[in-house]
Parts: sequence; structure tokens; C-alpha cells
Amino acid sequence: MPGDALPYTCTLCGCLCDDLEIRVESDVVAEAKGACAIARPRLVGLDVAPRAAAACRVDGREATADKAVEAAARILAAARAPLVLGMARSTNETARLAVALADRIGATIETGDAESAWPRVVAMQRYGSIGATLGEVKARGDVVVFWGCDPATTHPRHFERYSLVGSEGRRTIAIDEGETETTRRGDVFLKVRPDQELNLLQTLRALVREAPLDPHRVVAATGHDLAALQDLAETLQGASYGAWFQGALAGRGPARLAEARRQAVTALVRELARKTRFVALGLGEAGNPHGVEGVLAWQTGFTPGVDLGAGFPESWPGESSAAERLKRGAFDAAVVIAGPFDSARSTPDGGEDVPSPLEGEGGRRPDEGSRSQGLPVAPLLIRPSGAPSPSRGEGGSWIFIGDPECDEYARATVALPAGVPGIDESGTYARADGVSLPIRALRASGNPTAGEWLERLLTAIGAATPCVRS
Amino acid sequence: MCTLLIRGGRVVDPANGVDGVADVWIRDGRVVAAPSDSDARADRTIDARGYVVMPGGVDVHSHIAGSKVNAARIMRPEERRGDDRVVRRRSGFRSGTLGSVPSSFATGYQYAGLGYTSAVDAAIPPLGARTAHAEFGDVPVVDKAMLVLMGNNHLVMEAVKAGDRAAVERTVAWLLNSARGFGVKAVNPGGVEQWKRGGARLAGWDDRVDGFDVSPRQIVTALAEAVDALGLPHALHFHGLNLGIAGNWEQTLEGMKALQGRRVHMAHVQFHGYGGSPDAPADFSANVGPLADFVNAHSGITVDVGQVLFGETTSMTADGPTGHFLAELTGRKWYDHDVEQEDGCGVSPIEYKDRNFVHAVQWAAGLEWFLRVDDPWRVALSTDHPNGASFRSYPDLIALLMDRNLRDETLDRLPEKARERTGLKDLSREYSLSEIAVVTRAGPARILGLAHKGHLGPGADGDVAIYAPDDDCRRMFAMPRWVVKAGEVVVDDGELKAAPIGRTLFAEMDVDPEARAALLARLGASASFHPANFAVGPDEASNPLGLRAGARP
Ligand code: SF4
Ligand SMILES: [Zn+2]
Repeated sequence: MPGDALPYTCTLCGCLCDDLEIRVESDVVAEAKGACAIARPRLVGLDVAPRAAAACRVDGREATADKAVEAAARILAAARAPLVLGMARSTNETARLAVALADRIGATIETGDAESAWPRVVAMQRYGSIGATLGEVKARGDVVVFWGCDPATTHPRHFERYSLVGSEGRRTIAIDEGETETTRRGDVFLKVRPDQELNLLQTLRALVREAPLDPHRVVAATGHDLAALQDLAETLQGASYGAWFQGALAGRGPARLAEARRQAVTALVRELARKTRFVALGLGEAGNPHGVEGVLAWQTGFTPGVDLGAGFPESWPGESSAAERLKRGAFDAAVVIAGPFDSARSTPDGGEDVPSPLEGEGGRRPDEGSRSQGLPVAPLLIRPSGAPSPSRGEGGSWIFIGDPECDEYARATVALPAGVPGIDESGTYARADGVSLPIRALRASGNPTAGEWLERLLTAIGAATPCVRS
Repeated sequence: MCTLLIRGGRVVDPANGVDGVADVWIRDGRVVAAPSDSDARADRTIDARGYVVMPGGVDVHSHIAGSKVNAARIMRPEERRGDDRVVRRRSGFRSGTLGSVPSSFATGYQYAGLGYTSAVDAAIPPLGARTAHAEFGDVPVVDKAMLVLMGNNHLVMEAVKAGDRAAVERTVAWLLNSARGFGVKAVNPGGVEQWKRGGARLAGWDDRVDGFDVSPRQIVTALAEAVDALGLPHALHFHGLNLGIAGNWEQTLEGMKALQGRRVHMAHVQFHGYGGSPDAPADFSANVGPLADFVNAHSGITVDVGQVLFGETTSMTADGPTGHFLAELTGRKWYDHDVEQEDGCGVSPIEYKDRNFVHAVQWAAGLEWFLRVDDPWRVALSTDHPNGASFRSYPDLIALLMDRNLRDETLDRLPEKARERTGLKDLSREYSLSEIAVVTRAGPARILGLAHKGHLGPGADGDVAIYAPDDDCRRMFAMPRWVVKAGEVVVDDGELKAAPIGRTLFAEMDVDPEARAALLARLGASASFHPANFAVGPDEASNPLGLRAGARP
């Protein structure tokens, strides 16, 4: 399937490495050049023989595609409080159709992991953001900060591809709760307690502003000497091009303060940008949440959650969340695309960044345990333990569009089989820095794509032409 | 075969020298000559007697897609809440939101609602082209095209430094081809790179860009030459130095002189024609006269104005340092995004207030440009949407051009100091209907080199706007009675009737495979992505229509 000359794009973490070389022998991936420790066990050995089509399901029984689409369309046409959600791994092309469907049926639509997406978006709404494409950091970055994150573990190729390419004269500063692979790589390691992260950010900003500070209060607030922080502030200001990297929640502190931390980072970087060039970037999450967020924004004006129930887009933080409504059972029909909870994070209420984006129920690193071998598809669709999920007959009917090997497939009111993007389906994904890249299928799938199912649903309920690649 | 007859309207078609009652026949999306058989009937007839019939509007410089446009949407939810700021879903159409940067479907609907059928996005970095094309696919009705940013491109600057004209041409052709772009844009050439390097602002035409050792003068002239040598339909589209800065008129004039003899389109010139000096903000003034005189004397130069209108809007620019400057000036939220090897980007909310001296001068400066450039064919109507104002306020601008009293009324409530710092009060010129047709459609189409747009002669696109004549010019242009896109009635009596997707226009470039491979190898050496993923694929542009380079008049 992959063209000889074309590289393969790995979707397994936010690095979205687009330079893998896949070699197939006898319908099995024999080699994945460039794959890291996370990707390798998932790609090498993958069966890429053409997949047979799976049967649709209605109420748990096999059904023809026509009957299933008809049943799904009936549910959606009658829905008063529908939801459209999931999509964390959907292509941009699928997302365009998903928003079209949500608009047509007046659904609340939400993408990805609400817990990290909303703080990111709301912080942007308040203060903006100061960033760059990763190549700028690669080419220019001379002071690189890793804030409460451990890319060495979660984004294994981040250093070699983006943040620490070459080493001439670069200063690497890791600020974290405790030692990690990343802190061990840094020139400077600054320890910070999760409950003091905000204080530290504000203190650094004050130092860059050259505001007078009381040394005793600085120690109490941050656990560090004023002089040490002054040094750090000097290093930051001394950058000619500085880059601040952070994880999904912008630190290790509680999730409810993620928005405050993001704002504090932006404020610090804006202060630094008065003196030099400095940018802040996310490490990025697995799948395509950044692309789908963008699609939602261009089609409706809002992201990452939009309520289309009034006949026009509305979005309020804390209210327009489909995941929240799903959890409360406040819906009568839901369209779940490619699994609602296959996000990078696995602690719905924890408040910690997760070491591995692919870590599953058992908390094992993917390359350490039983998950590492011989499971070609399931590891790409990981559900964290304890995450809420709809079930038949409770809350409302729901339609699942996704991998037939997911357990949702058996439980949905209507299940429509679709391939996995990046394995069975090609399209485009966006990196966390907004760069849109092609992703390419590794095998032929007998199943339609999620986008094709959405098109059929739109036709069945009589919608406006969705305008994709017309 | 599907025919539409627009019968008996006053056809205002300045490109064909027509202003009088005539029929317009459209067959299969294109204007055709009236059938010789006088009994010929059309599938549909619009009785346009008593109405004004014009070609569909063409926007030569707007920002409707891509990362900075979408960032503005995400950053500004406050603009899109409330009953009058939304587009409601109707059967067959999509809902959306407005504000200064409407959502994608709403953008297409709103343009169509004003009788505009083509819009050019003026600032897409090659690396952002894939997303912008996807977004174009969700901007219905209008035909779209993008101008590709090259004024800070590393490979371009290296070719300029080497003094290798052929290499500049190859690089330009390859970038344009990779992005499926229509034209070439230079924004603060070299100045964005310099800023990203932490260097001082490039204020003069012969300042040097660190690391590349080239000057803005060298970059701009090389790009203008390459655009001409490649025979692109549209001239180099140029956003100058020192945007928005007091005293910048001098560099603007110097730039026009530097380019003398070469075709150039000067973008949003309103922002580039200020007197005073950066050190003495109180001396700020409009100094349009000498610049307009130069344009009047040199036929190779065209401009769009970038008119400021009072109200809340969003500034967005690929000129990173200017974006930063503006955000610091207003102290408001700021989106900033550097694009590797190419450009920058700044977005920030801004409110233009009639009580504000500087804003008042900017408002007057824009109007001076319209009134001082004698030849309407060389001055295109734009607000640099959304920078000076939303494109949705074009009818307000048209009214100001057609009605001196309206201008004077506004002028009267501006700060006295501002009135003195512009020459607007002495300008009595009023645009005629035909001149409005020039600056809103015929002129921009010609400036873009789009032979099939901006007129209603045989072969032209079947894009037509039909207005009810009205003494209130604002009302007239805000509410076309009918709008026709490619022969299909898309607006009837103020209501959207259809929303076909429209075409994406791009320049068809031949790129030598060896040159492409060499350029990709150099790109790949420093890029954060695989060079094979750089170019936008042939199926990634929405409903594409390639225009052959080399075919320019
Ligand atoms: S770093 Fe991430 S994207 Fe790159 S190969 Fe590893 S898992 Fe895949
Ligand atoms: Zn512009």
C-alpha cells in the first residue's frame, strides 16, 4: 500500500513523525525504519493483508449497510438532544463531515480530550498564544525548556526531530516534579512541586519584568532561592530564540488549574518576547485532536466543543461539552466516531500528565508488557480504565463508527465498521504546531472510511452538500 | 445545456465599455453572445428591467483561510455570540458565526450576499497551503485563490544572494506549484526573518538581513522579475516595509521607484502612506499625495487600499514584527506564529475609534488614496479584510466614495487635529456607478490577470450581481436583488438560494523534476517534516482550476 517513494506518517504520539520507511514482506510489516520504541512494536509485525469488510450491526445483530444506515438515520432524525463526539483520531476530512452532520442534526459536537483541550482553547481566548512551527525550534532554538513534561518517554523522537537537533551552544532546561529521562538529558534541572508551578511561572515573569521581589516570599512560594531563579530568568532572556515545551495540561498540577498555568506560560513568554524571540509549544497529543479542533473552528467559529442545537453555533466553556453530557446521560442519540476515549491521556480525573500516550489499563509502558506484541489494531485504540462510555439502552441510542474490533462495536445501537486512519485509511492530520501532513494507509480495507459513512448518513437524512473535495 | 437570460437591465460593464440597457445570456456557466435567433428562449429569465447589472465582485486582497484566520476565530469567541452575529442553519445550508472573521461557510455566504463571486487570500505560507486549501473547500459560492508568501523564504533569499535569476525563478515556480497557489506575495521582505533572528527592524531598502546578507530591495526586485519572467497572471503582490509606522511614506515611495518598470501590486497602501516620524508620534499625518502622484505617472503599479472603517475588528498579518508592534500598542491578546523558513504571523483584536487621532487619520488616508489615484483601474477596493474592517462593510465604503457629503459628515466628527493632518476635506471627487464597478470587479480582475472575470462579454464567467438602484448607495450595494454564480442564481431577493462550492484558481507551473528534487533536498535538510510531504497533492485543492502561466496579456 505505501508507495515506494512515499514515507509513512506515524500517528502514535504528538510528534507525528512523517519520515518512517515501511517495508512489507508477505503481507506483514517487516521493518519500520525510523520507528521509535513506542511505534516499533505496533508497526513491525502488523498484518497488512487486505481486510475483509465487517458486517454492520443494529441492536447487536448483523445487518446490511443499507439497513444500518437507515436505522442510524432514523435515530438521528428523531433526536432532540444528539451528540457527536470522539474524533481524536479522525482525519481532517472525516472531521469536516462530522461537523456537517452535527450542524444538520443540531448536535453538540466535541473533539478529543475535553480535559486538556478546553484549558488550551480558553487560555488562547483570554491571552492568545505565542508559538511557531517545530522547524523554527529545530533551526533556531538555543534555549529549550521542558515544563512538567517528559518527552524522552512520551514523545521519543521529539529531541532528534525537533527540540534538540544538534547541540551546539544550546541550553536545555527541564523543570519538573521529579527526575525523568528528560531531566537527565537537560543542562539544568529545576525541581518544582506541582502546587507551586503557578507561583514559579509568576515569579519568573516578575523577574523578566525586573519587578522587585521579596526573597523570603520567593522561597516560600517556589521552593527556590531568588538568586537561582534570577539565573534562570537571565538564561531565558539571554536566548536568541527560546522555546518552551509543555504537555497536555501544561504541568503536573491539578487539571482544574491547567488553564491558569497555560495563561501564566503565555504571559511569561509574552514578557520574554519583549526582549527576545521566545515561543511556547505543546508536545502534541496522539492522533489528530489539533487538526479536528481546527476544522471545528473554521466551520463553526468555535472549538473544541460546540452546541449547534439552537440552529447556530454556540460555545461556552464548561457547558458545550459533549463528553460531559454523555457522562450525565443528557442525550438521546450519540454518534461516536472512532471511539470517544482513545485519547492520549489515561487519567480522566487525575491531574497528572501520563508518562506514555499509549499506556493502557495496566499502566505498563507499551514496550514493557504483554501489550507489545502481536496486537496489530487494538493498541491503536486504547481506552483508559474507568472512562465513561455509553451503553445500549442507557441515556440514549448511539451510533458507533469505527474499528469493528473495538468493544464499542458490539455495544452500540448501530455499529458501522470503518478502518483506522493511518492503518486502513489515508488523509491528513495536523501536528500540534498546525502543520498539516498526509497520513497514509498501510493496507486495503474492505470497510468504508468513517467519512464515507458520514456522507451516507448525511444523504440519508437529507443534508446540504457537505462540500468536501467536490 | 442550461441557459439564463438576464433581460433588459442597465448593464454596467466597464471592461467592455458598456453602460446601457442590454441583455446578458449565460450558457453552461459562461456568458455567451445573444443568440441570433430573436425568438430564442432561455431555461430561466431574470427580468432585470430597472435594475443595474454588473459582473460579480472580485476581492483582490482579503484574508479568508489559513492558520492566522483560524487562530483569529479561535481567539475571539466574544465576537460571535449574540443573535446578530450568527448565521442560522436553513435547509440545505450550513450555520455559522460572523464577527470580524466569519466561519468558513458564512464567509462564502456573506461574500455572495454582497454580490462578490471571487476572493483572493493574500497571505498563505507554502507550509500552510494544505490547510488553507482544505478550508477553501468549506468556503462556498466564491471562487478562491491564494497568494503564496515568499519574501522571507530562505531558499528564495539564498538564490537572491547568489544573484542567480534563474534560481530565483525556479524557486518561485516550485513554491507556487507546491502550494497550488495563484500568485506571489512578499511581506516585509527580509524583515520578518530579521525579526525572528532578534535583529533590529529593517527600516530601509538597503538594510541587510543577517545571515543572508540581502536587502529588501534585492529580494523585491528579484521576485518581481521572476514573476514577470514566469509570465504569472498577477504581478508581484507586495506588502511593504514599516507598515503602520509614522513617516513610512518615504520608504513606500522609494520602493515604488526601486521597482520602476516592473509590474507590482502594492497591497493595502493606506497603511504605507504616513507622514511624521517614528520618534514623534504626534506628527503623524496622511501623506498620500506624492505616492498617488507617482502611481498616476507609472502604469505598471496597481494598488489596493486597505481602508480603515471605524469599529471593532481583528488585525492579522504575516508581518510578525508588525503584529507584535500592534499587540503591544493595544495591549490586547496576541496570537503569534513563526513558520519555519518562510514567515511569521501576528493576530490581535483592534478597535478603530473615530475619536482616536491616529485612527481618524488612517480612515481619511484610505479615502485619499481612492480619490487621488486618477485611474480607477489601478486602485482596487479593499479593507484588507479583516485588518481595516470586515469585507462585510464594503457597502459603507462604496457609499463614502460615491457621496462627498457623507465623507464630510464623518470628517466633521473627527478630532480637529486629524482633519488638519489629511487632505481629504479638499477632495470633492465622487465615484460614478461605473467607477464603482471598476474598483470592485473589473479593475481587480484585470489586476489579477483574470481574463474571464470582472466583465460580461462572451467567454466571461457567468458571475453577475444585479442591484436595485437606490439613492442610498450603501443600501443598494448591501442587498443585491439577484446574484448569479456560474450561471446559477445563488441569491434571490436577499435570500441565499444555492451555495455551489466555487473553484480554486491556481497558476499551472512547469517545474523541472531535477530542480524540484534539488530544492526538496535543501528544504528537507532543515525542515521539521519530510520533503515528500511538502507539496499539496493534486486532489487536495477544492474544485481546482489551473490557469496557464505565460498567458498574461
Ligand atoms: S516519536 Fe511518536 S510519532 Fe514518532 S515514531 Fe515514535 S510514536 Fe511515532
Ligand atoms: Zn492583508
